Amino acid sequence: MFPKKSPKVTIDYTKCGEKGQMDPRDCAKCLRVCDPAIFILHESPNMPIDPVDPKYWRITPVWLSLCNMCMKCVKVCPLGAITVSR
Amino acid sequence: MCDWCMKHGAGGKWYMNAKNYSNELAEAINAQEYLKEQWKAFEMVYIRRIMGITSIDLGYKLQLPIIGRILRWSAERMIHSEGKHRNPVRADGHFGQVIPLEEAKIILGNLAAEPIIENYCMCRWMQRGIKEACCINFGLLSGVIEKLSRFIPKDTKYRLDRDEAIAHIEEHNKKGYVATVWFQPVPYINAICSCENPECGGLRLRNDFGLHTVYKGEYVAEVDPDRCQACGMCVTKCQFGVLRLVQSLKRVIVDINKCFGCGVCRHACKYDAIKLVPRENYPALRGVY
Repeated sequence: MFPKKSPKVTIDYTKCGEKGQMDPRDCAKCLRVCDPAIFILHESPNMPIDPVDPKYWRITPVWLSLCNMCMKCVKVCPLGAITVSR
Repeated sequence: MCDWCMKHGAGGKWYMNAKNYSNELAEAINAQEYLKEQWKAFEMVYIRRIMGITSIDLGYKLQLPIIGRILRWSAERMIHSEGKHRNPVRADGHFGQVIPLEEAKIILGNLAAEPIIENYCMCRWMQRGIKEACCINFGLLSGVIEKLSRFIPKDTKYRLDRDEAIAHIEEHNKKGYVATVWFQPVPYINAICSCENPECGGLRLRNDFGLHTVYKGEYVAEVDPDRCQACGMCVTKCQFGVLRLVQSLKRVIVDINKCFGCGVCRHACKYDAIKLVPRENYPALRGVY
């Protein structure tokens, strides 16, 4: 009756994102390696948003139902911040 | 013709009605305020909570019994909203339709309100982290986007005159990008995008989740079996997986039920074997957008 659960993709925001070591805008490797493009780059919701030129960005896996668990993003992330599980 | 042509087309296609491009209309629906709010943090559109629900794992949520149906109904209502109190941060009343290159040229040459700008594509930026200048915006929206430095190409001319805009849309279309025209918010028209599947936020919702953010075009592709040489070049261009090379027939076949009528496949054909025919020519496709 209930649909199949989507894979869980999580990003450790202490490694990547507004408090991490890297600005996701400069890396964005996971965004590009993902064929179904399940990630979205966006302003950090927890920080004050500069409407003209936001400074703090993070990546959120959004279209989880399209994830095939190919693990390419896990391998490509230079910070090892992504985990994919059932 | 779709419902939107009936409502806003003045007897023709909605995007061929000059009134929908006018500054007077924009003022009447207070589009300036709407666009400012919408574009300020457009990247947040799928992250924000809308009535307590985000788009995260939308595919699962839409398949849930009962809840999924309610969700789909309210999402469609939001996308097509013509109400007075539309919420710009969730892009109420923002949807579009696929158009062939010829019609995009007519729009940019005659209908689009000045100034015309070409800025970085929002969808490619948020879904791939890539900045590619291929979104042509016009009218009030130009002034709104010009103030947001992250969408304005540096070192290149981003304000275009009509001839330049036509040349650019032709270049994008031949590259394989699908031309789409957008209400933002309905019935004000202020953008022609060159979309790619699945990076485009609109095509993503349409193709993967069946929400009507992008309507199919007024045409469908038709292959002339006598001219087709079965080279298969057109198949490589189709963004929607509609064309297939059938070796036993030695020609390409079209799945017209899925065809969006963008006409991008035509540019790849050396034998002039593909043409666009009105959707209305096929009784089964009449009114199916």
